[in-house]
Amino acid sequence: MTSNSTKVRAGEWAARWADLKYTLYLLRKNPLVMTGSVIAIFFIVLALLANFIVDPNLANPTGYPEFHGQYPFERKFVWNKDSIINWGPGIRLYEGPEQFYLGTDNWGRDLLKMIILAIPVDMENAVIITVAAAVFGTLIGALAGYIGGVIDEVVLRITDIFFAFPALVLALVFAAMIGRSIPTLRLALLLVWWPPYVRLMRGQILGEKEKGYVEALRGLGAGHLRILFRHIMPNSIYPILVQATLDFGGVILTFSALMFLGFSPSPSLPELGNLAAAGYEHIFEAPWLIIFPGLTMLIIALAFNLVGDGLRDVLDPKLRR
Amino acid sequence: MREKNYILEVKDLKVNFHTYRGEVKALNGVDLKLYRREILGLVGESGCGKSVTALTILGLLPQNACVIGGEILFKGEDLLKKSKEDVRILRTNELATVFQDPLTYLNPVLRIETQLKEVFMLNKKLLRQAVIAQKAHGKNVTFSSLLSWKEELATEPSDLKVSRAEIKKMAKHLCVDILGLVKLPDPERILRQYPFELSGGMRQRTMIAMALARRPSFFVADEITTAVDVTIQAQILHLMRELRDKMDASTIMITHDLSVAAEIADRIAVMYGGNVVEVAPTVEIFRNPLHPYTTMLMKSIPNVKKPVKTLKSIPGTVPEMINPPSGCRFHPRCPFAMDKCRKKRPKLIETIERHEVACYLIGG
Amino acid sequence: MGGQQVKVYEYVIRRLILMIFVLLGVSILVFYLARGFPSGLAPWAPYIDPKMTEEQIQEVIRAHGFDQPILLQYFYWLRDILHGDWGLTGIWAQGRPANEVFLSHFPYTVELSVTAIILTVAIGLPLGIISALKNNKLPDHASRIIALTGYSTPSYWFGFILQLVFFYYFSLWGLPHLPSSGASGMEGAVARVTGMPVLDGLLAGNLEYTIDAIRHLILPAFSLAFISLGFLARIVRASMLEVMRQDYITLARSKGLKERVVIYRHALKNALIPAVTLTGIFFASLLGGAMITEYVFAWPGVGQLSLRAVFQGDSNFLLVYTLMIAAIIVIANLVVDVAYIFLDPRIKY
Repeated sequence: MTSNSTKVRAGEWAARWADLKYTLYLLRKNPLVMTGSVIAIFFIVLALLANFIVDPNLANPTGYPEFHGQYPFERKFVWNKDSIINWGPGIRLYEGPEQFYLGTDNWGRDLLKMIILAIPVDMENAVIITVAAAVFGTLIGALAGYIGGVIDEVVLRITDIFFAFPALVLALVFAAMIGRSIPTLRLALLLVWWPPYVRLMRGQILGEKEKGYVEALRGLGAGHLRILFRHIMPNSIYPILVQATLDFGGVILTFSALMFLGFSPSPSLPELGNLAAAGYEHIFEAPWLIIFPGLTMLIIALAFNLVGDGLRDVLDPKLRR
Repeated sequence: MREKNYILEVKDLKVNFHTYRGEVKALNGVDLKLYRREILGLVGESGCGKSVTALTILGLLPQNACVIGGEILFKGEDLLKKSKEDVRILRTNELATVFQDPLTYLNPVLRIETQLKEVFMLNKKLLRQAVIAQKAHGKNVTFSSLLSWKEELATEPSDLKVSRAEIKKMAKHLCVDILGLVKLPDPERILRQYPFELSGGMRQRTMIAMALARRPSFFVADEITTAVDVTIQAQILHLMRELRDKMDASTIMITHDLSVAAEIADRIAVMYGGNVVEVAPTVEIFRNPLHPYTTMLMKSIPNVKKPVKTLKSIPGTVPEMINPPSGCRFHPRCPFAMDKCRKKRPKLIETIERHEVACYLIGG
Repeated sequence: MGGQQVKVYEYVIRRLILMIFVLLGVSILVFYLARGFPSGLAPWAPYIDPKMTEEQIQEVIRAHGFDQPILLQYFYWLRDILHGDWGLTGIWAQGRPANEVFLSHFPYTVELSVTAIILTVAIGLPLGIISALKNNKLPDHASRIIALTGYSTPSYWFGFILQLVFFYYFSLWGLPHLPSSGASGMEGAVARVTGMPVLDGLLAGNLEYTIDAIRHLILPAFSLAFISLGFLARIVRASMLEVMRQDYITLARSKGLKERVVIYRHALKNALIPAVTLTGIFFASLLGGAMITEYVFAWPGVGQLSLRAVFQGDSNFLLVYTLMIAAIIVIANLVVDVAYIFLDPRIKY
């Protein structure tokens, strides 16, 4: 009995490998996807190396060793040399030695360096939340779809309740109640993000159950768990992957939106939304504070969305030929 | 002479499809002649190129298809050299086709009336003439009478004013009429319905009506009996015979079912692997098949009167079209294959009177 | 379709009953989070100002019933809302009844949402159709980039950029500029009938007021639309692509119909069905108040109100808000599903 199931699996994996090669071929042909992938990989590498390129201590506005305690106020809201500083005693020009490529923020930190430090924070969040939501949601969806019956109904109703909220409201309410540390914010977003996966996976499972092979495997004597995890799920994984890639950008945007609205654990945390929030009060005098962090977020989200969108096109069974 | 009487001639037609796996060489030099007012049965296994041939003639190939050679002469003009717009206009009143599965070929969200009326509305001149004729002569114009109008179109006086509403009414009237012609009961009700509300046989007839409405001189019926059960099949074939007498059309009847071809076709053309391998009048081809493929095909049809223990089949499998066999594509399965069969494809030549074969065994 | 209509009726009733359960679930969730959750703000926080004495604070607590066990509080609340009493908001909203606060600001959100949806459809639909028809050629790639960019843009960032360009820089450069905040620069100039400045201006025949209201509306509506139109365009594209591959399109072409007719009469009706459903749901979530856009543009809608309510910990307002929005979303889903029945004659219930 096991050997038959194994044979089915072996045949399945061979077919999947050929499928994968074809998928990669199609992806390579699509210029948008390739561009997105390149940018995405660039940012991933940047995220991994960020803390080595830029000294993380620079993020701390007080206690930066070189300035014995604090960034000098002449460095605040500076665009570059010869910028006008018009707060503090008198109006003068910035004459310091440093060259700022993207200006400085409200504490005097170099914005470019802060953005670089912020990238791993955001990407790490996105990965954790997306993966956790996907895994959690997929498991529950798979069980609901496969077992059916009462469990299915209950799960559906629960997801209905979650769907009845616009995502941001729910995340906000959770965040406000649970607290402002990074782990709790992650939890809040996770709770908002898992329902789509439940629905997705459940739909897939129901579709797969219609096909003949489930019955065939049962006839061969395979147990339920085996069928579910070794046969059905690998076949259903593609839309989940697509959704996860697309969600990646969405999570970054939502997380930073939360930060922007004021939920960050500390105002000086280098995080793209947080950086933007600090600049919100001084929009018109120091627009770079919002422009560049937002732009960075746009590019990252765009890169992943390009890949996810291209992936979705390529994996659509009706469009493949 | 009959030779000059053909309405369609396909010469050495070659069509490829671009797919991710490679170039599919679907048509490998198809030669075909269609005479006026005849029904030509185009038979062959699935994938031999029958439908592709029809689609190419009609100009309905999908985007990834490419015609790489040959000519399609319709009434003397090469369709392949015409612009897409010209071919489209030909489709409105000369070329018509009915497809296999009416459920997927009818638009699910539009009523039958919409889908049928639009065919008539494509030819507003004719409708105007019909309305004028009706007003002038006072008698009801039926679709059948329109069938014989093809030559007289220019003669009626065209100074009478005809309103849009009258044109629409005439179109609807013709719809009802034509549905009656294809033996559909209660046409008024059917017009109001959606495709999924009709039975398979009724849908098929509706598609036939849509094709008829153009009063075509060339008609392709692509596997129209395949998706229906045997009794409906008989009805539809009967209908085709009746219509053939009324219309002035030449028909290509595509089917993989030899018995259907036997029943209705005047001549039969056998296709294999993207080529026409044999063409002959129906009785002749059954009595005297020349090409090895045709011979084996005939032998594999079970005979009710002489039952056998095992069914005969043709050894081997249908050729794969990305890397088809060289020369004559049948040679891997042919018991009589010679060296030159591998090298060069034999041409379709008329050997006996009106019996053409593409095989080195018989001439070539 | 007579017999069909009875079935649709039953379906609607069933869904409405289901909706009540969903709403109950939502209310329980929010109630617990807002009032009962141990680490959140105290539920009486919005009613307290720093000058109050300990005694006064206790008085407030007792008056609102916050000293009762949470289950009892929930039942009192349920009982109260059945009488139409949704509780009072905190000091931040002048202690007015929660539902009154909500309803007085809701029209602004409606105005913004409706305009945004119109823009979304007007731009997103053609974008998707072009994308599908010129599949994998330049227009497709271009509209894809536009669509995905919209989808990847942080909403506050885009709103800000719009403000920067059209308000700040334009006025700096002496160009006619658009206002950056608020719904109207001429408050009170016109009688409040619907609560939506543009409509009120039209109803009162006050052209200047209407134009001013429209000028205020442009930037926030466009900001919202930019983000959603990408999504709509993608769905329309996918849908059209699938439809154009169908057999009935081949038949339509074989009839000799002009390509334009094939697209508009045969393809579009089929392809738009998913797009319609999506738009309906979009609209519903926009009505939830695009919080961030309202915040950035200081638009007096319910979105930015809810934001303040969250920070204040005002449970009464939050309950009104979330229940209203949940109801809207569920009803929108229902409307969309029913519309589906009418759009696609194959669906039977």
